[in-house]
Amino acid sequence: MRNVLSARKGEDMPFVPDPQQRFRPGEVILEMRNITKRFPGVVANRRITFDLRAGEIHAILGENGAGKTTLMSILFGMLQPDEGEIYVYGKKVTFRSPLDAINMGIGMVHQHRKLVSAHTVLENIILGHPRAGKVLNLKEVEEEVVALAEKYGFRIDPRARVWQLSEGEKQAVEIVKALYRGARILILDEPTSALTPQETEHLLESIVTMARSGLGVVPFITHKLPMVLAVSDRVTVLRRGEVVARLETKDVTEQLLAEKMVGRPVLFDLKKPDVPLGRPVLRVENVSTLNDKGLPALKGASFEIREGEILGIAGVSGNGQRELAEVLAGLRKLTGGRIYFDGRDITQASVLDRWKMGIGYIPAERKDVGSIGEFTLVENVLMNFYFDPSMVQHGIIDYAKALRLTKELIIEFGVSTPGPEAKAKTLSGGNLQKIILARVMARRPRLLIAALPTQGLDIGAMEFVRKKILEAKAHGAAILLISEDLDEVMSLSDRIAPIYEGEIMGIIPADEAKKEVIGAMMAGSRVEETQQ
Amino acid sequence: MRIGRYRLKLEKRVTLAGWQAALISLFAIVVALALFSIIFFLAHVNPLRAYKEIFSYAFTNRYGLLLTVNRFIFLLFATFAFIIPAKAGLWNIGMSGQLYIGALAAFAVVYAFGGKNSQSAQLNPWIVLPLMVLAAFAGGALVGGIAGYLKGKLDVNEIVLTMLLNFIAFWLVAHMIKEGGPFMNPQGRGESFALPKSLHAPLIFGVPFTIILALGSAVLLEFVFRKTSFGYQIRAFGQSPPAARYAGIRPFRIALLVFLLGGGMAGLAGYHYFGAVPGVYKIARTYGYFGDLSFYGIICGLISLNNPIAAIPVALLFGGLSIGGRFVQGKLHMGFGLDYALLGVLMITLVAFQFFYRNKIVLERVDS
Ligand SMILES: Nc1ncnc2c1ncn2[C@@H]1O[C@H](COP(=O)(O)OP(=O)(O)OP(=O)(O)O)[C@@H](O)[C@H]1O
Ligand SMILES: [Mg+2]
Repeated sequence: MRNVLSARKGEDMPFVPDPQQRFRPGEVILEMRNITKRFPGVVANRRITFDLRAGEIHAILGENGAGKTTLMSILFGMLQPDEGEIYVYGKKVTFRSPLDAINMGIGMVHQHRKLVSAHTVLENIILGHPRAGKVLNLKEVEEEVVALAEKYGFRIDPRARVWQLSEGEKQAVEIVKALYRGARILILDEPTSALTPQETEHLLESIVTMARSGLGVVPFITHKLPMVLAVSDRVTVLRRGEVVARLETKDVTEQLLAEKMVGRPVLFDLKKPDVPLGRPVLRVENVSTLNDKGLPALKGASFEIREGEILGIAGVSGNGQRELAEVLAGLRKLTGGRIYFDGRDITQASVLDRWKMGIGYIPAERKDVGSIGEFTLVENVLMNFYFDPSMVQHGIIDYAKALRLTKELIIEFGVSTPGPEAKAKTLSGGNLQKIILARVMARRPRLLIAALPTQGLDIGAMEFVRKKILEAKAHGAAILLISEDLDEVMSLSDRIAPIYEGEIMGIIPADEAKKEVIGAMMAGSRVEETQQ
Repeated sequence: MRIGRYRLKLEKRVTLAGWQAALISLFAIVVALALFSIIFFLAHVNPLRAYKEIFSYAFTNRYGLLLTVNRFIFLLFATFAFIIPAKAGLWNIGMSGQLYIGALAAFAVVYAFGGKNSQSAQLNPWIVLPLMVLAAFAGGALVGGIAGYLKGKLDVNEIVLTMLLNFIAFWLVAHMIKEGGPFMNPQGRGESFALPKSLHAPLIFGVPFTIILALGSAVLLEFVFRKTSFGYQIRAFGQSPPAARYAGIRPFRIALLVFLLGGGMAGLAGYHYFGAVPGVYKIARTYGYFGDLSFYGIICGLISLNNPIAAIPVALLFGGLSIGGRFVQGKLHMGFGLDYALLGVLMITLVAFQFFYRNKIVLERVDS
């Protein structure tokens, strides 16, 4: 077992990197050779070779299910490869657990946040830290953490409880946590998928600062191509578990990257179908509600959506979008206002009644709310059908029918999975999103509430999902599209309602909307409601 | 770990098939028995002989087997009392209180029909027996339901609640059957009045009819969990309350219903032991012992991974060992509490072996 890194002290003299040691820029500090990882039914990684140089930002790209998360989980010791070797600072290592990886100065921020909700930010940061357990001076730690965060431009409140944070804030906490543990190689799995444009901007700056300071070296993974082009030095593209290209960023274009990923040219622009608008489906009057912290989150929102219409709520996460969606889905109590669906007052209607009357909700929190990891895909599809007369007779679920539906959805939405009986937790992030979407769309809702529907999807899937949303529109559904992606909102919506601090700043017809104006409204400037 | 050209590696399991779980449990039982041999060695008893005595008394001896089966029925109901809320992610540790109240309710039916004072009172069993069973279920359900209601409405911790209810029920039984209580045995003795002969439960090959209820419940529960919308809702809520809420499942309804049903199952355990087991037919002075025994329902539930069918062999084993252990203790003149010690070791080993439900050890060849 020589040369094998071990978490246990004293065993074969574990190699510990010297925190002060500087690496020459360009020096290879991490290497993965011929990594293969099989899961029942799929080869997630096939003979993958990957290297990382000091001071470099190395992006990993690939479609949903291409094997990105798997590769990074191996690098972080969460999974063990079936074949292949890993070298860190030139030494061969075997990671038995993330602890081994952390001890080698590798930090990881996951696609889905893994913080303990009930604990404070500070507690989460020191949880599992080597220094925790010894006597800790909390005050000192707090100061260190705040200083560290500020150095890279993250704003975090160390005493806030994690359940109160927005996705973007959680992300910052995870990064600071990794840095605080002394990470020198930072792996970010889809770091921007849940971030607001401003936060993304901040993060990119921080990433560049970290890389250039010689301290952190950051490979990252994303579907947002412009971002890849803006900051990375090199790009490795995976498809179906294999490396299909390794390129210098300066040599590539967005179109080229997209083609490499998907294996075919991708449309970046979609044609919005011309649908005559019908009767109003949803009318929201002066609706207010509180967030989880008990503070006003939505302040007197009013709007209407008609058959065949898409209303886009544009805004930076944490400005009341989640609360708005939850109020409409019946998951959150109102503090004021009324909601009408097809002219009927549904302000007090239960969640189940709303599903039954044709309201469909695609939540942004797909792991915790939108799916059940331990359930099979069939059972996950049933989340929106266990009450449906087409699927249940006399209280008995027709599992054969549910299985058929699931198979159809898997094929139609191109979900990559060994099959309908696979557990949801084995799906890659994007594929999980596809199955949730597929299941809600399969109900053919009259009102579709789609919160961040394309978040974490690869560009091929993104194109597909947008097509699906437009299809629902063509069928006469009223759609509330909540998105942080301004381009998405502008290209899909009929009208755009920027939201800021719980207030809708105005409603603008999409064909009159200018990006700068919407952007300004999202940041708080008010434009008089334009009549359409 | 490395052995020659091979290496042992610990890996996370992706899936666990039913037969794998069964095999692991079987292995755990063997290990537990091996461990427990030490106790026999220390007492200068040949463990093989001791185990032979335990198993042959519990499972082949005519008297022993009947005792085992009665314990088994009792434990199976207690296990269901745990499993049903557990599927919804809720902990019922109130089976003892629920079974006491179930038993009291069953005896209250007899009391109401005036069957208290005479052993030879002629009551129509076709009317009174079903009422007793129903009352036992309702009594247990009531106690469970209190916990479920408070859990659902106010999100009070259900573990604390059910435990407190156990204490209340324990003293309520004492009040009812001890000196001066309405259910007092005419001869005193700190036990309840005995059932009139006409209400002795019908036997099938010497086994009370409650075995049909117990096994039937196993099949029914399996069906409910696997096939029905209600079972689906319970499981979804148990896996993820926020996801269940999103899907329109009402937490209050689930919490209330699983505790009503679970409590009802415990109530049936109470009827079975005090109302249907030959030679008992009264709420015995030692009722506390059976309250304690019912907690093994928790262990049986955990070991059978909350699967009602898997609970059958597990409850049978625990029932048998508790009978066999007690027998051997007397026969080989061993110290008091051998049966509980044996169950305890078995429980710890089985729970420890659940590690292998989540992980596996693989042997692989190392090249070079
Ligand atoms: N624990 C697991 N068990 C079984 N299969 C798995 C498991 N984890 C991942 N897979 C499969 O391995 C493949 C690669 O998944 P991975 O999560 O690495 O994809 P990804 O590139 O990160 O995709 P995304 O962009 O959607 O997050 C997928 O087909 C997935 O279903
Ligand atoms: Mg992923």
